[in-house]
Amino acid sequence: MEKLKQNPIVKKIGLNRIILVGVLILMYIVFCIGIKGFAATGLDHIRNTLNYVYFLGFLSLGVTFVIATGGIDFSIGPVMFCCALMAGYCLNSYKWPLIPCMIFAVVIGTLFGIFNGWLVAYMSVPPFIVSMASMNIAKGIAAVFTKVQSQSWPQSKDPVNGWFRNIVSYKGFPTGLVVFLIAAVLCGILLYNTRPGRYILCLGSNREAVRLSGVNTKKYEMLAYVMCGLLTGIAALFFVAAYTTVQPGYGDQYNNEAIAGCVMGGTSMVGGLASILGTVIGVTIISLLQEGILAFGLGKDFQLIVTGIIVIVAVYADVSARRRKN
Amino acid sequence: MGEVILTMKGIDKSFPGVHALDHVDLEVRKGEVLALMGENGAGKSTLMKVLTGIYKKDSGTITYEGKEVEFKNTREAQENGVVIVHQELNMVGDLTVAQNIFIGREPKKGLGIDDRKMIKDSQALFDQLHIDIDPKQKMKELTVGKQQMCEIAKAISHKAKVIIFDEPSAALTEKEIEDLFVIIRDLRDKQLGIVYISHRMDEIKVITDRVTVMRDGTYVGTLITKDSTKEDIINMMVGRVIYEDPKTHSMVPKDAPVVLKVENLNAGRMVQNVSFELRKGEILGFSGLMGAGRTETARAIFGADPKTGGRISIMGKDGQLHEVQIRTPQDAVKAGIGYLSEDRKRYGIIVEKTITENSTLACLENYMNGPFINKAAEKKIAEKYVKELATKTPSADEMVVNLSGGNQQKVVIAKWLVKDCDILIFDEPTRGIDVGAKNEIYKLMNRLASEGKSIIMISSEMTEILRMSDRIVVMCEGQKTGEIGIEEATQEAIMNLATRNID
Repeated sequence: MEKLKQNPIVKKIGLNRIILVGVLILMYIVFCIGIKGFAATGLDHIRNTLNYVYFLGFLSLGVTFVIATGGIDFSIGPVMFCCALMAGYCLNSYKWPLIPCMIFAVVIGTLFGIFNGWLVAYMSVPPFIVSMASMNIAKGIAAVFTKVQSQSWPQSKDPVNGWFRNIVSYKGFPTGLVVFLIAAVLCGILLYNTRPGRYILCLGSNREAVRLSGVNTKKYEMLAYVMCGLLTGIAALFFVAAYTTVQPGYGDQYNNEAIAGCVMGGTSMVGGLASILGTVIGVTIISLLQEGILAFGLGKDFQLIVTGIIVIVAVYADVSARRRKN
Repeated sequence: MGEVILTMKGIDKSFPGVHALDHVDLEVRKGEVLALMGENGAGKSTLMKVLTGIYKKDSGTITYEGKEVEFKNTREAQENGVVIVHQELNMVGDLTVAQNIFIGREPKKGLGIDDRKMIKDSQALFDQLHIDIDPKQKMKELTVGKQQMCEIAKAISHKAKVIIFDEPSAALTEKEIEDLFVIIRDLRDKQLGIVYISHRMDEIKVITDRVTVMRDGTYVGTLITKDSTKEDIINMMVGRVIYEDPKTHSMVPKDAPVVLKVENLNAGRMVQNVSFELRKGEILGFSGLMGAGRTETARAIFGADPKTGGRISIMGKDGQLHEVQIRTPQDAVKAGIGYLSEDRKRYGIIVEKTITENSTLACLENYMNGPFINKAAEKKIAEKYVKELATKTPSADEMVVNLSGGNQQKVVIAKWLVKDCDILIFDEPTRGIDVGAKNEIYKLMNRLASEGKSIIMISSEMTEILRMSDRIVVMCEGQKTGEIGIEEATQEAIMNLATRNID
């Protein structure tokens, strides 16, 4: 085991990540054997899983930045729905063209990020409270704005706006996957190779030491929330491109799923450590699990239970690994 | 002399990167005061923390009252009569004296707390110790000295048989120390075993019966106090380490330019109208008791805490003093000031990051390639300073958590040297650093000063102040009480100024 840990390739990727990929493959095999017809309709399941990966992946990438600072954001799910609902209402009721609606969705997400980040970084309100509150605000605004109506985004048959759904898949080719992976690479570069990323990771480890080194910690802490908001806005587009319809009043369950994917991948809840690659793998596992649970014939409620347990186990593993280190 | 009550034998304890205790022995007897001596980082406090269950020992045995014991935590140690009076007081300021003494074991009366009994019992404790404190007073209203008395009363209330005093005199005035000694002698006569940790040589001669000396985490030896001289003890403490020669006169020319001028600085109760000048190439010592406001002054200058008034001027490129507005550490760093905190782990370094990442934290903007961090250049500069400061590490990619205290301090110094700061504020530069590394830090500070950097050094160790400073500013209760050149400086003169405002 020690020897394996010292292998340069293993070291670069991280043993945990390799184990996670193993878990992912194992899960798929178990589903194929355990669930009748899972293997036969394998492509369908993979497609469904991928659809889930995209929007959840963007959420999870965003919240990775926030968790890296030692913060948390419980508003991402409802904010994503808020973006999709408000922009959808503009599309359906105000008859805005599609592109401005898409931009509007991303802008709403970013505004929520600015709001959360400003309160946490500059007003020193605890992130837990801020995001709980803005979760409700997002739900409320979305309901008021849409007059509590579900919003539908274009079907693929739609002659004018049907192309919208190509962002997830074009003639069977998973374009969404490509977009998501590009976004993940960009996030990785931002986090590991630029000053803001370095400061975000450092301030997650020791905020005071970074501040006393002459870094404007507030600015960079806020930036993490803004990134999260921006990616939440993008997640909204991928959600509606995959599922077309959104209902007001929901979205909470995706908080847990996104956070679970992120923490499972090795991003530490106490801050300072973040892995984009880990988040990508973690999100894929969560998505496959959701699909698997449905295929088993168990309902949405079981998904909630399983995700909840995963969050607890992943955070516990992180905490106890740290305790052993110290 | 009384029978042995507590024996520690072959105690071994390691932390990542540090072998803190290497088979240390200790023997405490009833009815005597044992001094536990050693330089900072010799392992005294660690040994006591092992005894009271704060740390778990790697090996060795502890025998207490004839039985082998291993206390799981301080509470269990207390219940068995082994109590530690910490240097930092563990008191809740907003509770009363009586509430603090009985915290966690309040006498019950029905469903509530029996306040009257608590106050009566506290009063009885104080009477027993001949201390004059009102149990109904709020803790925060007492002086540090009185708070310490309360800690002792609390210790006694646990039916203590062994009391450990961890540098009790660091924050006390001479009068308070005398009061403390009266109490300690009284406890000794009641056949308690007392361990007294200090590095003030004069106190050791006055109050203790035997001296156990530690150095670099090892047991050096035990002496009978009255049969040994100061020199004997110092030799045992210092051992092979040869320190930089103490300064007897300053090498800084009298007309060296002023690089930092602070006028009437105010920041809360702890910084009142502080003014001083720092000259180029000078080490300016800041002396005073614990809580004199030295760290607060430094933090106010650095912009770490808000100030309420005062002017700060810094020498510009043109050689003239210019007033600067320092509102945040960012402003201070821009003005060329670097601050090395007394609490490295909290304020100085990021332990979970590498030496490289820590080294460039203050000026990452200089190691960029467009929008991207130039990791090669960054590593090169970090390696350069690892070499220059002789930091002991396998490579610059090592996590700082794996370094010893002295090497962690070097990483903080490297951070400010990479930034090329001209003014460095060292706050307790050798706290928690082992003896060998301590001298390296001294050498480094002298070298930096001779290269034209200007240094403010805050230190609670009198020997350190007298060894390093060109000039000494003394503070007491938030005010500057005096300034002495190294030529005239003596321990007595400094202590006199350090306790000037206190009666």
